[in-house]
Amino acid sequence: MRWESSTRPAPLLTATPVRTLVDEQTCIKASFLPSNHPVTVCARMRSDEGDLWQSFAHYNTNSSGMFNLNSDHSVGGSYSGCEPMGLFWSMQPAPGEREGLRLRKKCVESPYTVQISLLEGHVSPNQDPGKEVAAVTAERWYMSPGVKRQEIRQNGLVGTLFIPPGPGPFPAMLDMWGMGGGLPEYRSSLFASRGYASFCLAYVGHKDLPGPSNTVNVGDSYFKAAFQFLQEHSQISADRIGIVGLSYGCYLTLHTGTLPGVKPACLIGINGPVGSSRELLHVNVTTKKSDQDQVFWSFDDQGYIIFKQTSLPSNLHPESIVKLEEITCPLMYIVGEDDLSASSIENADLIEKTLRAAGKSHLFTRLSYPGAGHLIEPPYSPMSRASFWVIKPEKLMTLWGGHPAPHAAAQEDAWRKMLAFMELSLRR
Amino acid sequence: MCPFVQQVRMDNSLQRVKLSVHPSRALVDEEFVILVQNVPPGSPMTLHALHCSEDGHRWEACGHYIADSSGSINAADDCSVGGSYLGVEPMGLLWSLKPVPGSKPGLRMRKKDVQTPMVVAISVFNGHHSEAFVDQVSLASWVVERWYMAPGVRRIPVTEQQLTGTLFLPPGPGPFPGLLDLWGGGGQLVEYRSALLASHGIASLALDYLTNEFTTQTGKMVDNQYFETAYRVLQQHPQVLGSRIAMLGLSLGSVFTLKMAVYSPVVKLRCAVCISGSHIQPVSGGPQEMMDLFTRNIEKINFSEQNEVIWRSLLLPVPSDPSMKADVGRLRCPLLLVVGEDDQNWCTQESAADMEQMMARAGNDHLLTILSYPETGHLIEPPYTPHTPSSMYRGAGVDQKMMVLWGGKTPEHSAAQEDSWRKILTFLKKNLYGGSDPQAIHRSHL
Repeated sequence: MRWESSTRPAPLLTATPVRTLVDEQTCIKASFLPSNHPVTVCARMRSDEGDLWQSFAHYNTNSSGMFNLNSDHSVGGSYSGCEPMGLFWSMQPAPGEREGLRLRKKCVESPYTVQISLLEGHVSPNQDPGKEVAAVTAERWYMSPGVKRQEIRQNGLVGTLFIPPGPGPFPAMLDMWGMGGGLPEYRSSLFASRGYASFCLAYVGHKDLPGPSNTVNVGDSYFKAAFQFLQEHSQISADRIGIVGLSYGCYLTLHTGTLPGVKPACLIGINGPVGSSRELLHVNVTTKKSDQDQVFWSFDDQGYIIFKQTSLPSNLHPESIVKLEEITCPLMYIVGEDDLSASSIENADLIEKTLRAAGKSHLFTRLSYPGAGHLIEPPYSPMSRASFWVIKPEKLMTLWGGHPAPHAAAQEDAWRKMLAFMELSLRR
Repeated sequence: MCPFVQQVRMDNSLQRVKLSVHPSRALVDEEFVILVQNVPPGSPMTLHALHCSEDGHRWEACGHYIADSSGSINAADDCSVGGSYLGVEPMGLLWSLKPVPGSKPGLRMRKKDVQTPMVVAISVFNGHHSEAFVDQVSLASWVVERWYMAPGVRRIPVTEQQLTGTLFLPPGPGPFPGLLDLWGGGGQLVEYRSALLASHGIASLALDYLTNEFTTQTGKMVDNQYFETAYRVLQQHPQVLGSRIAMLGLSLGSVFTLKMAVYSPVVKLRCAVCISGSHIQPVSGGPQEMMDLFTRNIEKINFSEQNEVIWRSLLLPVPSDPSMKADVGRLRCPLLLVVGEDDQNWCTQESAADMEQMMARAGNDHLLTILSYPETGHLIEPPYTPHTPSSMYRGAGVDQKMMVLWGGKTPEHSAAQEDSWRKILTFLKKNLYGGSDPQAIHRSHL
């Protein structure tokens, strides 16, 4: 039964606040609706590449004609239960969009604009768009006002430095991602928005780096130079610099953190190995793709590639394994227990065992999340269980693992704990 | 371009200091939380705000705090013991902003471009300081944006039928309740209150009725039909619900709000809000006749000790002649009056008292709500924006600028802005969105 009336205004749908950082919550509420009535809330946004991502959830208004995502339960849709931020983390590419997508913000200086709509009844926006009765627009930002973004191309370094507002000097993070390459800036811009200078460093697959783009052509001196760049920066406290890395970036975090002369104040590794699977060529770690690796690849029944075995400690090149016993600063390691791209549990076990043997257990913090996959990213972002990942000569669908609800919970919890860990290690 | 902070190394013991302001992007009427951490417990600290206005003036404010035993300062819980505001005032750094020493006298902060935010740098300094901030290095600094417009709100210039206005539509299909938004004798097209109302779900038309296109070109003032035309434009807009339109007027704007509400056969208001206004007016006239009334009474101007113009006696005494005041006894819609008891520009208090009497006699005072604020002046604006006790002012159509006294003491006036805005929004939402019967809302329910 349609309850729309020409004598009443449309219901009021609000998101408070309407402009937030990506790691902040917003409260979505509606009022002036009929009481005890079914409604659908739908969220839509476009990635920087123009792909449409969306989510929806079914709610029932209470006897006062209101609902509130902070306290009410979704009874269907992209997520269920009480999930204040469910509309954001449960987004998936809309039907008809390109395959194998993963949501990653390229331009951190502009926000994601999320259109949140209220539809009559319990509908599935994909099948029956229904009638939009109210809407609100929310902006999700990766950068606080006043944060400065600087492209760094000096001393051979390729990266982007984010400096918080204010005089400094600031604690800082060296931020590295995986073998997908390029220069994802969004975690660094968020760190800067929390008061930490952050330098995201490219090391593979970037046009400004030397050599072919599908191999790592930089070695120890490059990573050491990156750390020194931060130490020598006039707005950074030289003795309050940490390193963080996801996937292969985790290996680089541990490796760089134990290079002679590099004294980080903390290390954070996410779902990555303690060594490299590829063969070592020189003293400087310059790695080349080797067919040897492919022995460890496996495929699921859809033909998606599972990289997990390549980073089993026993499959790692022994000489590349980081001397974890030499670590002198706190180390946090984050495990997605459904990681299908890296053997995170096994690597975490090895770190734990090594540090215990060295009498350094007090330095180690392990976070472990059931149902979470490989790509543990800043919170409230949609996850991709699989996506296209470039491995020359062809693109392959790569299985990352994880399931939406537990992965979202892991991202939220891990981020909060990472920031607390950084607070303790870098501001003590 | 204003330099916000200087970049110099400082000593180690204070390197851990952390300042956060949350949210860093907010609407102008939203609160934020300022938190300082990791300072030596018990140490004196100064919170400072600096803003460069659109017209290039610097405004600043400061609060003096003592860090607690955990080395923190939270402006929402802790007491400022000095500076430009005192006491527990989470938003004190914004509402107590004043032009920096050496600024031109008589400044007033008004945002012209509502599509960009007001940017404020918030800093924490070691020790208690009240001046010369530009010569010092802060311990930490943050930047916040204050917006009059939510994302998705559409700004639509309105020029049809010789109107000069801007319509702000909330995001979504509508239909939305509508509001006609009138400012005072200074004229111009002032958009920020309408932008903010649209950010709260009300389609709001800011209307220039003194310095509009027609008047500028012909030299003649518009007549009462101008307001009826604006009302019709709003009523007929496909995304506005014609049966739920309100009017909000400040100062001179309240005169025409009441005139339309009481007398117009065209304008059917769901409710009306009058801020710092009066019902005193030539009933059968329009803007020109109102200006003539002011001119006739010009000798009733007074001056303060600082030679600021006090206009509050211009319309006094409250006339008993019914042709000289809007007959509010005939109102059929709820009316909210906002009164500053230290209003030096209009006789708002006397007018409100007279309106109350008229409505009591007529038996429709159940429609009336009066919010009356001690030590509050004339310019009662959206909250957390600076209080202007006096400023250089030029009336529409007048060549000369003069220093006008608006009244009010900053802390009380700022509290009144915060309280009245919240109550105005509640009143508007209840009448425009809620129920089938519009109603005055008892003060305690606002």
